[in-house]
Amino acid sequence: MKQTMTKALSNPLALCGFLIIATILLLALFAPLIAPYDPNAINVKAILLSPSSAHYMGTDGLGRDVWSRMLYGARISLLVGIVAVGIATLIGVVLGALAGFYRGWVDIFIMRMVDVMLSIPTFFLILAVIAFLTPSIWNIMIVIGLTSWMGVTRLVRAEFLSLRNREFVMASQTLGARDFRLIFTHLLPNSLTPVIVSSVLGVASAVLVESGLSFLGLGVQAPQASWGNILTDGKEYIQFAWWLSLFPGLAILITVLGYNLLGEGLRDVFDPRSSKTNL
Amino acid sequence: MSKYLLKRLFWMVPLLVGISLISFLIMHLAPGDITTTEAGFNPKTSQESRQKLREMYNLDKPLLVQYGMWLKRMSTLDFGRSFASHQRPVFWQVTDDKGNVTKGMIQEALPITLLINILSLSLILVVALPLGVVSALTQNRLPDRTITLFVFIGFAIPGFWLALILMYWTGVMHNWLPISGMHSLGYENLGTWGQFVDFMKHLLLPVLISALSGLAGISLFVRNGMLDVLHQDFITTARAKGLPESQVVFRHALRNALLPLITILGLAIPGLIGGSVIAESIFAIPGMGKLFYDAVLMRDFPVIMGILTIGSALTLLGNLIADLAYAWADPRVRRGVMQ
Amino acid sequence: MPGQRHRFGILRCLLPILFSSLISLSGCGKPSGPTAEPDYNQPYPPEPGGTLISASIAEPSGLIPMISGESAASAIASNIFNTLLKYDKNLELTGELAKSWDVSSDQKTITFHLKPNMQWADGAPLTSDDVLFTWKLVTDDKTRTPYGADYKLALKAEAPDPLTFRVTYPQPYAPALDSWAGLQILPKHLLKDEDINTTAFARHPVGSSYYQLADWRHGESLTLVRNPKSTQGPARIEKLISRIIPDTATQFLELLANNIDYMGLDPIQYARVFPSRPDLNKKIALYKELGNNYTYLGFNLKHKPFDDGRVRRAINYAIDKQELIDGVLLGLGEPVASPYKPGTRWANPELKPYPYDPEKAKALLRSAGFEDHDGDGILDRNGKPLAFEILTNNGNKQREMSAVLIQRRLKEIGIDVSIREVEWASFIERFIKTGDFDVVVLGWSLSLDPDQYSIWHSSQQGPGQFNFIGYSNARVDKLLEQGRLELDPDKRMKIYHEFAKILLEDSPIVYLYAGYGLPAIHRRVKGIDNPAPPAGIGWNSYDWYIPEPLRRNEIAP
Repeated sequence: MKQTMTKALSNPLALCGFLIIATILLLALFAPLIAPYDPNAINVKAILLSPSSAHYMGTDGLGRDVWSRMLYGARISLLVGIVAVGIATLIGVVLGALAGFYRGWVDIFIMRMVDVMLSIPTFFLILAVIAFLTPSIWNIMIVIGLTSWMGVTRLVRAEFLSLRNREFVMASQTLGARDFRLIFTHLLPNSLTPVIVSSVLGVASAVLVESGLSFLGLGVQAPQASWGNILTDGKEYIQFAWWLSLFPGLAILITVLGYNLLGEGLRDVFDPRSSKTNL
Repeated sequence: MSKYLLKRLFWMVPLLVGISLISFLIMHLAPGDITTTEAGFNPKTSQESRQKLREMYNLDKPLLVQYGMWLKRMSTLDFGRSFASHQRPVFWQVTDDKGNVTKGMIQEALPITLLINILSLSLILVVALPLGVVSALTQNRLPDRTITLFVFIGFAIPGFWLALILMYWTGVMHNWLPISGMHSLGYENLGTWGQFVDFMKHLLLPVLISALSGLAGISLFVRNGMLDVLHQDFITTARAKGLPESQVVFRHALRNALLPLITILGLAIPGLIGGSVIAESIFAIPGMGKLFYDAVLMRDFPVIMGILTIGSALTLLGNLIADLAYAWADPRVRRGVMQ
Repeated sequence: MPGQRHRFGILRCLLPILFSSLISLSGCGKPSGPTAEPDYNQPYPPEPGGTLISASIAEPSGLIPMISGESAASAIASNIFNTLLKYDKNLELTGELAKSWDVSSDQKTITFHLKPNMQWADGAPLTSDDVLFTWKLVTDDKTRTPYGADYKLALKAEAPDPLTFRVTYPQPYAPALDSWAGLQILPKHLLKDEDINTTAFARHPVGSSYYQLADWRHGESLTLVRNPKSTQGPARIEKLISRIIPDTATQFLELLANNIDYMGLDPIQYARVFPSRPDLNKKIALYKELGNNYTYLGFNLKHKPFDDGRVRRAINYAIDKQELIDGVLLGLGEPVASPYKPGTRWANPELKPYPYDPEKAKALLRSAGFEDHDGDGILDRNGKPLAFEILTNNGNKQREMSAVLIQRRLKEIGIDVSIREVEWASFIERFIKTGDFDVVVLGWSLSLDPDQYSIWHSSQQGPGQFNFIGYSNARVDKLLEQGRLELDPDKRMKIYHEFAKILLEDSPIVYLYAGYGLPAIHRRVKGIDNPAPPAGIGWNSYDWYIPEPLRRNEIAP
């Protein structure tokens, strides 16, 4: 694992991605220490100030410091991404493992469920659920998670199907290993690599989905800051208060880019096909 | 073959029932219906008249009964009428006894969404194929890295933000392109060519924006597919035979690398009819995304159900067609299916 | 590798093609704005003609107002259809289709005398028969309208001759006149055999007012042209186009690009963007008009401690309304002290909003038993901290900002407030109908008729009814009942002035502010009444005109 990581980071793009994500995670983690202002402190006398040494990224329509909101927003945006993907991965791994291990009816049933979920336009589904429930940060994470597990399920199932027939699995099975033990000690660890790649890429998508929901007013709700809703606040004044949309727009861009670069870099290393390419 | 087809078609029925049940339950997750919209919260409207409306729409019946009624109507392919006050048919036009035609809501929204998505998918393919091939051939070198970075930026940039910036730049600062809508005023006075150009100018930004986000997926797919194929034995053989590199790449490698793309295109079908709520709102295009979003906000159940059902059915059909096309294109798979 | 260079070639040709096509496409469009800006400020004589383009967030679902009640529909339908009565520039009732009206001495019968020789746009005569027909439609149980209640109160309606329409109520009903200013009259000859709920007429209306529908391009625009047979005389502007643009950011870009002439701005655009852009001010004029609604903080009077008037008044004193107006509306609004438009006869000029006075607030709370006994900074009574949740619907920036500012002010006097935003339908179903809320931030309209029975009368507290805060005051009940029976405007005024006074003292809600409507209109449009009268900037829109030299270049055939 360590080795593959080192190898992945030898790819300059993946290294870039890793550095971007690390920086942003650190900024988010230490937001309370870095942020010069309370992100929700309203100041009626400082509405829509342009960036200056007092407010590095200016202030918004309520006189709140955009830089501080960006820092706290990073926490929310990343949390949404990571938890949503965590949920999706958990569901995906469990269902994929069941389908791949037991095959037969279990497999058919689970794969039909995957088909059903894949056939409903995902963003529509998310939109409907969020609109009908209330758009809180938890609902958003859960709904994104519940609508994006299908890819992982397929991946894990495929890995299981191919691993099951390998000698070491057959061997331990004939030695009387229990299903449970077999799954957790042999099959799962060996099928995790593609899952990691897809999770890293999944975080990127989730961050984008949150910003899209924010545009529709269904994202993380104010006064809590997220990059999506800071950007949405700024969209009305794109030519005037440019700082309101530029910074969150760039932040989303850079973060999503970072996750994608890292994910692709990892895929290049993990995927044996493309890794043997350096002829 | 026909047995396989029948089996697949047969499977679609329970899937569709499952999908519709999920959709139906989601709609009723939260309380509220068409009579609870913000416009209805008006002291001039009375509780009795709202109750009356609710009864007219059968919203007072138990959930399962409502679902049963819906299924029953669906079995005759009747998508019903919208709950909105215009009560237009959800799917297709109806003609009343006086010959007045009322267009269906999906019927009106679908063509523009399809057009934009097909244009943007074509644009994606036209751009992504060369990008992917170049990427694969220069793997891990500068062109590959540049392309990867470029397509990822396209994916990562929040579409509505870029859209607004481009609208401001091309529409307000320079007056190169129209900002929103689908036709200029006075469009009907233009000649056929003028109308076409006018229409295309309106579609340019929406297509560009939606293509940009899809570029990364396809170009990386082509790149990885190419890499995959380039290392297979038959390519080595071809090279060993001394075939020119361009022939190896185009005649042999690319062809094989493109096969799996068929499946991807099949999976793109829900996206094609789905439309983007955000792009359609920003560009003022009355497509499927906007229709769905408005229906969700209004709790217009027949429209929501109609769109989800038609969308899912088309997706299933698309997958089937993609599988068949794949089988037709790849003799190895075809044999597998026939057996 | 030779092949490699070749493929770069593809890319190299492809990109220029893409870009050149982009530029050539843009090249064929001729610029829509003239390069030399005409002088918008010199005086021009009125002349007919021209096109006014506005933007609407939503498409009307139909143009029969009693069926399609949403604002997108009524904004357009009001240019097509007439009502018997209307509100004039000072929001006093006056005749529209009716030349005059009289109220019988027992106040139960109203007789409308129609103007003579009126016609529908298709040339058919417009008579009291059409009015009677419309009344029958709106009161018909088969008609899917939410607005029938007011008209069903009438015992009978009759059209004794073509120019007379008479309606009789079982007892005097003062809001009746207002209701007849709200019912747009439909043509009987076109609708008598139609199902009003599904008729194609909703998309091809024939009316009697200044304009008629010329073109409805689904999802894109509606075009109205002047109706030569208008019962109100001719309008000046030839064409009204309403473009459907759902996103307000896009609308604003279209305004900047000179593609629309009229849009409502938000306070930031009005107070910040425009002042910083002198070039815009040359082209676009800004106006201010009194809005149609006010924002309030409403208490659930059935929940403790809001049953205690001292607590309600304390909170009222603790909220700085001017701060809200400055912060939320950037100063573009005014405080209100009654649910009526300031400057109209129903608004009691003696009433003043509660001033911002945190000390008085604390004193009131102390007298109600709230003190910070445990020293945590939050007031408490009997061991229970004074804490509640402000609930509002999501998607309304101003309500949300107000809630945040209120939260901070209340914190300062030791009240712990949290904020929750809920999507509208759930908001109503889960919280309002069940009474499961503490405090809401919502809006009511500043009604033109003073009758507020459905909002404040104690009998109107059932689920789904509008007195959801549970207000109950015997004197107010009495006044509301009296007000409904009194058709004499001056006597009515006294009743509602007293009503508003009690309401203010009781403080079941805190009036926060009434925001201004902020229309931005292109300077090519002349004849606008500025400053706007109480009825708003659009009250004489039929008299607006666009001088020929200032008209937009349209694509000519």
